[in-house]
Amino acid sequence: MTEILLDVRDLTVAFGTSRAVEGLSYQLARGETLAVVGESGSGKSVSSLALLGLLPPRAAQVLSGQAMFGGTDLLSLNDAELRRIRGRRISMIFQEPMTSLTPVLRLGQQLTEGLIVQEGLSARVAHSRACEMLERVGLDAPERRMRQYPHQLSGGQRQRVMIAMAMLVQPEILIADEATTALDVTVQGQILDLIRDLQAEFGMSVLMITHDMGVVAEMGDRVLVMHRGQKVEDGHVSDVLARPRAPYTQGLLEAVPRLGAGAALRSAPRDTAERRVILRADGLRKSFARRNWLGKTQAETHALDDVSFDLCAGETLALVGESGSGKSTTGRAVLGLMPLDAGRVMIEGRDLRDFSGSALRQARRHMQMIFQDPFASLNPRLSAARLVGEPLVIHGLARGQELTDRVADLFRRVGLDHGHMTRYPHEFSGGQRQRLSIARALATGPRFIVADEPTSALDVSIQAQILDLMRGLQQDLGLAYLFISHDLAVVERLAHRVAVMRAGRIVELGPTDQVLHAARHPYTQQLIAAVPVPDPALRRNRSALAYDGEMPMGPLTHVAPDHLVAQ
Amino acid sequence: MLVFLAQRLFAALITIWIATIAVTLLIHLVPGDPVRIMFGGFQTTEAELEAIRTRLGLDQPIWRQYLMFLGRLAEGDLGRSIVGNQPVLDILLERLPATLALTLASLAVAIVVGMGLGFLAAVKRGTWIDSTAMILAIVGVSMPHFWLGLLLLFLFSVTLGWLPVAGGDWRSLILPALTLGLATAAVLARMTRSAMIDVLDQDFVRTARAKGLPGTLVLSRHVLRSGLVPISAMLGMQFAYLMGGAIVVENVFAWNGLGRLAIQAVLARDYPLIQGFILFFATIVALASVVIDLLYAVLDPRIRYAK
Repeated sequence: MTEILLDVRDLTVAFGTSRAVEGLSYQLARGETLAVVGESGSGKSVSSLALLGLLPPRAAQVLSGQAMFGGTDLLSLNDAELRRIRGRRISMIFQEPMTSLTPVLRLGQQLTEGLIVQEGLSARVAHSRACEMLERVGLDAPERRMRQYPHQLSGGQRQRVMIAMAMLVQPEILIADEATTALDVTVQGQILDLIRDLQAEFGMSVLMITHDMGVVAEMGDRVLVMHRGQKVEDGHVSDVLARPRAPYTQGLLEAVPRLGAGAALRSAPRDTAERRVILRADGLRKSFARRNWLGKTQAETHALDDVSFDLCAGETLALVGESGSGKSTTGRAVLGLMPLDAGRVMIEGRDLRDFSGSALRQARRHMQMIFQDPFASLNPRLSAARLVGEPLVIHGLARGQELTDRVADLFRRVGLDHGHMTRYPHEFSGGQRQRLSIARALATGPRFIVADEPTSALDVSIQAQILDLMRGLQQDLGLAYLFISHDLAVVERLAHRVAVMRAGRIVELGPTDQVLHAARHPYTQQLIAAVPVPDPALRRNRSALAYDGEMPMGPLTHVAPDHLVAQ
Repeated sequence: MLVFLAQRLFAALITIWIATIAVTLLIHLVPGDPVRIMFGGFQTTEAELEAIRTRLGLDQPIWRQYLMFLGRLAEGDLGRSIVGNQPVLDILLERLPATLALTLASLAVAIVVGMGLGFLAAVKRGTWIDSTAMILAIVGVSMPHFWLGLLLLFLFSVTLGWLPVAGGDWRSLILPALTLGLATAAVLARMTRSAMIDVLDQDFVRTARAKGLPGTLVLSRHVLRSGLVPISAMLGMQFAYLMGGAIVVENVFAWNGLGRLAIQAVLARDYPLIQGFILFFATIVALASVVIDLLYAVLDPRIRYAK
C-alpha cells in the first residue's frame, strides 16, 4: 500500500519576514489519512494552501521546497498548470461552511461549474452527476437542492454540499482544512463518518488538518504535529497519541480536555447547607415570530420554552447544547438584555422587572458577561486600562488614582502585567484578550457572570489556563458562573451542575458527574457519544448517534434528588 | 417576491405623498405674499390680486388648499403655468424625454466608467493601476458639475470642435452625459473598489479558486455578482444625486430638459410649475428607487427569499 502519492520536502513559506512554515517535509501514501495537527499559527493550513497555490497573493511567498505529486513538482507550476490539478486531482474543503459557498449563485451552478469547465462535461451530464453526489453525501431531494441558494441550507448541509463539490471530480487527494470545526458535535460525527465512507469507496488519500486531537484519533492513520511552522513529530496515530516523544506533543495532549478526566480539576461543590441562590430563572419563554408584511405571524420558533433553573453563590452551572438550542438566549435573558414573553428572572430574591432606573444600574453591577470572541468583543480603539476601567467609571465607583489602582489590581488578578495597561487590544494574544474580558467583567465586583463560550476560540493550552483562572477567581470571590458551552469536556472541568438544552428546553439537569457519566436523556447520550476522544482505541460508537425514537421533550421529572430529566 | 414589490411600491407612495405636503406648504413657507411676488410687478391692483388668490384657491384655509390640490392631482391636473398659461403636466411631459435621455446616458457612463475602474482597482489592488484609478476618482469627486462641464465644452467644442456646444441631437448629448456621469462614476468607483475588495477576501472566492476555475471566471461569476449586491443598494441614492445634478448640467449645456425648465420657473416665480416640477422629480426618484430595490432583490437571493 505504500505508494507515495504526495512527497513534500523542505517546504518554507513566508509572510513578509516571518516564516509561517519552515523546512516542512512529509509524505502521503495512496489511500491513507494523514492528520496534520497544531494550534493556531502552527502553519498547518498555510502549508496545504501553498501546495495548491491558494495562499493570499502578494502577502505570502513560497521560499523553498518541493511537492512531488505524480511526477511533477506542484510548487514549480504556474497557475494555469496548477489549475489542471487543483479541483481535479486534489480538492479541498474548508472550515467555514457558512461563508465558503457563493451566496448569490444556485448550488447547482456551483456544483457543476468545475465539471463543465475542467472536464468539459455537458451541463446535463454534470447536473446528473451532481445530483447523484448530493444523494451520496446524504442530502435529500437533490433536484430541489440544485435550485437552492446557500442561505437556504444549514451549516451541516452546506458542509455536505462542499464535500459533494470536492468529491465530484473523484480526487486522488482530499484536503480537509478544519472541515468540522465549525459544526455541532453530532453533525461533526456525521461528517467525519461521511468522509471516511467516501474514502473507502473511492480510495483517495485524505490530508486532515485539525486542531482537535479527538478528530486526529478518530480519522488519522498517521499524524503530523506542527508547532510554529515546523514539524515537531510524526508517526502512526496510535503511537504518537499513546507515547508522544516530543515535549510539545506531550503538553498538547495533556492540555486536551477529556471527558471523564475533568472531575478531579473541579473545585469542590459548596455544601448544600450554605447554598445561597443568587439567580433564579423561572419558566422563561421567548419565541421569535416570522411575520409577513402586514405583521401577521406566519411561523413561530420557540427560542426558550419553560426554562427554569437556579444558580447559587460559588457555583458553576453549565448550559450545554448545540447551536440553536437556546443556551445563549438564556444567557441574555437572565441578564435582562432581552424582553421575555413569560417567566421571571429573580436576582437574589428580587424580580428583575421590579428594578428600574438607578436600581437596575445597581443590579447590573452584580451581573456581568464574558463573550466568546476575544477579538470582536473589545473596542480596538481603547487602551486595555480604559477597557477594564470603563465599568468602574460608568458606575461611578472610582476615579483618578483610585481608578488606576483598582485597574492595576484587576490586571494582577487575571495574570496580566502592569505594563500591559497602556497597550491596545490588537497587541494582545487571544488568551490575553480573554483575560482582559474577565478583568473587565470583574471590575464592578459582580455576584455572577454569564460566560458565553469563553474558551471556544482559544487553543487548548490557553483554554486550560483560562479555565484555571476562572476557577481560581470563583474560589477567591465566591462568584457564580452561568457557563455556556458546547464542549462537554470543558464543562466537566468547571461546572458543578449541567443543564442540557435542546430546542429551547432543558431536557436534563443535574450534577455534572451524573449528567455526563450516567446520562438519562437520549439527547444527552447522543451528545456525549458524538464527542471524538483523543484515543484511537476508543473510536466513537456510531450506533449511539443514530437515535431513531422520538426525543422526550416533556416536563422535567426527578430521577434522583438533584437530577431532573425531561419525560 | 410580490410582497416585496408591494412593500417597495407602498414606500414609494409614502415618499410621493410627503412630497405633496411639502409642495403645498412651499408657497406658505416662502417669505412674503406669493401672489404679490408672482404678479406684483405688473402694476396690478389689490382687487386683481384678490381675484388671483381666489382663482388659485389661496384664500382658503391651508388644509382645504391641500385637499383641493390632492383632488386635482387625482385627476392628473397639476394646475396651469402662470407664465405660459399651459397645463403644467403637459409642459413637464414635454420636457421629460430630454431629461430621461440625459440621466440614463449619464447613468450608463457612471456604471461603465465607475464600476469598471473600481473593479479593476480592486483586482489590481496595491498596484499603480489601483492608485491611478483612485486618484482619478478623487479628482472626479472634487470637481463641481458646472466646472467640469465648462472644461469639457472648452476642450471638445471650442478648441477641438469635435462636438456641438448645444443642440438637440445625440451628439450634443455626449458632453452633458459625460459631465453628469463622471462625478457619479468617481463615487461609484470608490464604492465598487471597496465592495469588490470585501468580496475578494471572502472564503467563497477561495472555494471557487480551489475548484480550479480560471481566474476570469472566478472574477466574473463569483466576485462580480456578489459585489454588485452592495453596489446596487447605493445606486438608488446615486440616481437621486444624478437627477439633482441634471438641473445644473442642463443649464450649462442649454439642454432643454426638466432641469432647465426648473430654473426658468424659479426665475419667473412660476409657482404652479415649480410645484409640479418638484412633485414630478420626487416621483421619478421614488420610482427609480423601487426599480433599484428590485434589482437588488434579483441580485441577492437572500432578499428575494426574505424571511
